[in-house]
Amino acid sequence: MAASSLAIEEISKELIQTRDLGVTEEGERLVELQIGPTHPGSGHMRIRVWVDGDIIVRCDPDIGFVFRTIEKLSENRIYMKTIPLVERPSLLDTTPMTIGYINALEKLMGIEPPPRAKYLRTILAELTRIASHLYGIGILAIFLGHSTGFMWGFGDRELFVELANQLSGARITYAYVVPGGVRRDMPQSFPDNVEKALRYMERRLKDWYKIFLNNPVIEDRLREVGVLRKNDAVKLGVTGPNLRASGVDFDVRVADPYEAYDELDFMVPVAEEGDAYARTLVRFEEIKQSINIIRDALKKMPSGDIIHPQIARMFNPLMKKIYEETRRVKFPGIFASLKPPKGEATARVEAGRGEALFHIVSDGSPRPYRFRWTTPSYRNVILFKYLVTGHRLADLPAIYGSLDYFPPEADR
Amino acid sequence: MMLPLVMLLKEILGFNDTIYRTVVGLGYMIIYPGLLLVVVIAALMLWAERKIAALVQLRYGPLWVSRRIGGALQGFADLIRFSFQEVIIPRRSDVIPFLLSPGLAILFSMLPIAFIPISPSIHPPVYSDLALLVVIAIISLAPIFIVIMGWASDNKFAFVGSLREALLIVSYEIPLIISIISMAVIYKSLDFYEIVERQYMLPGMILNPFAFIASFIAVLRTTSRFPFEISEAETEIVAGPYTEYSGLMFGLSMGLAYIKLYVYTLILSLIFLGGWLPLQGGEGFLLGFLAPSLVVILKLTLLSLVAVFLRAIYGRYRLDQAIRLGWIYVFGLSIVSLIWSLALVYGGWVRWV
Repeated sequence: MAASSLAIEEISKELIQTRDLGVTEEGERLVELQIGPTHPGSGHMRIRVWVDGDIIVRCDPDIGFVFRTIEKLSENRIYMKTIPLVERPSLLDTTPMTIGYINALEKLMGIEPPPRAKYLRTILAELTRIASHLYGIGILAIFLGHSTGFMWGFGDRELFVELANQLSGARITYAYVVPGGVRRDMPQSFPDNVEKALRYMERRLKDWYKIFLNNPVIEDRLREVGVLRKNDAVKLGVTGPNLRASGVDFDVRVADPYEAYDELDFMVPVAEEGDAYARTLVRFEEIKQSINIIRDALKKMPSGDIIHPQIARMFNPLMKKIYEETRRVKFPGIFASLKPPKGEATARVEAGRGEALFHIVSDGSPRPYRFRWTTPSYRNVILFKYLVTGHRLADLPAIYGSLDYFPPEADR
Repeated sequence: MMLPLVMLLKEILGFNDTIYRTVVGLGYMIIYPGLLLVVVIAALMLWAERKIAALVQLRYGPLWVSRRIGGALQGFADLIRFSFQEVIIPRRSDVIPFLLSPGLAILFSMLPIAFIPISPSIHPPVYSDLALLVVIAIISLAPIFIVIMGWASDNKFAFVGSLREALLIVSYEIPLIISIISMAVIYKSLDFYEIVERQYMLPGMILNPFAFIASFIAVLRTTSRFPFEISEAETEIVAGPYTEYSGLMFGLSMGLAYIKLYVYTLILSLIFLGGWLPLQGGEGFLLGFLAPSLVVILKLTLLSLVAVFLRAIYGRYRLDQAIRLGWIYVFGLSIVSLIWSLALVYGGWVRWV
């Protein structure tokens, strides 16, 4: 049976033993495979795998290949310039990250965005969540050799990228969320387009279930693979859909609501099995829930300002004119030297892959003294070590894909 | 084009039989239905595979090479590209087997064409009443060279890939051979002409559907179609045994699967789909050779299209799952087909006059 079902302590003991065995002592049985960083199935990371025959004895995820010093860079930048910076590492899942950063910043500044801005942020965050999940499912599909799932995932994702484009003016890096509100209001045709896209996606989900989730080959590849027990999931600090697939009902959107989530109607999908199939299933169910959230948010969308009045007051006449005519926010000069008061603030959000935590320490200067950011992929990477051990080599891509692990997001 | 010319020459110049048979045999092996047709069908099948998958996946597929005919020349463009790319030989590889094995694998997967008739009137270069057995024996040599490829490359992924190939050969070639032999039991013959003639009432796939299903699944595995594309699984082991190959050598290795697909579907269409039936063959080049052979090629193309279409539906099985499937279901099915054949023959339901 897979070693992943053992308690963590036992696995660790086993790991130490296998490390000592290395390649030599057991003779020719152990073969070390270096999967990545230039390997079609590795992503931007290296996975060192020791196999005994076809069974993986030890797995060592070697992270840091795309480490981009985001935290250090932000210490040398004004607060506004960090907004596009936090989008870069988790490129498929940008809005939740900007929301987290801006929430922490707003807590420091002591302002709260108007309700309409909160709803707009929520809608964009859910659009990105759907796009991010579709991307993850597509990658899982191609890892399993299922090219149709790959193409469908990227094709259907295009819809939500395009919707985000209509709302924010950019396809992937929106920088839509700014301190005190959002950059622009939604266009007139936006709710209709969203409704069209959501209806299409609901139709497509049925096809998705037929060709991917209920496909006998895919089921065989994912069921009973990489089982993560509830206790282990909690102990390892796993987060996001991977945690919920192991039976832990934890979602930051419910546990610590931000933006408009406490006013919206949705459920948190939870599965008990904890295997790769459950993780995939939870992602599909989350897409359904995101559809509900977007519908509900568009229905309950209040009218009014999209930027905090304290910031709107600083507009010069031209900015005011643009804001009133086209509902677009131009930043007053004060933003270039935005100085939040001295102090610390923490915010957390539920990004597509799990909980992201943002911590800003301000010393009253225009640059943060310290910006700490923990991404969900960074918290999930440990699973490689425990889930893969004891499985077959062909299960490595299946587990990798089902974790929806994104190396740049982990490395930051 | 060449054959009527040869016939004409025979009439006028009074060629003796040996020269005539040599020329026809060479034409058979090199032009039609041999090498040239194999390359054309393999390239078109590559294009069809990508185009069908694109259709399912809501995209265009190959488009820019020969845009007016839907990119049908894409396969030939790839072939030309592979031919002119640099061939890199890894320093630590075992050079002679590394260089020879792709060619030998292709040789052994194409050699059976010499024994397979494609029409009632013109015989294949080697006529034998044990042709079916010989064909199976020769073509099952080809996978050995795939194993050698992986071994000679001195690459861990290639090594893993060739081990997978070796394991899968054992678990799928045996059911394939048993199910084809069970058809020979029904027809009481190993001669392709007799086999085809005996299907004038019912094609073999209705006579013994178990054998057809078992051998088709085994052919899917042998030609690395989905869901059995395990030995070159890209996201796991890069390109399996072909990892270190580049340029023309890589083209040969990747083309190998399509060449095998051609030959296997040719065999299956003769055994199970009635070959050139309903055409009985007649006088002259056109009715005696070209029309019946086109019927055979149509049948084998249909079979190949089904095989390549599966890429759009399935992912790939894990190695152990595929082996389990092979030994339990496909092997079981082939045993059932053998028993079915024996029952039909000795129960007296099938009687050949």
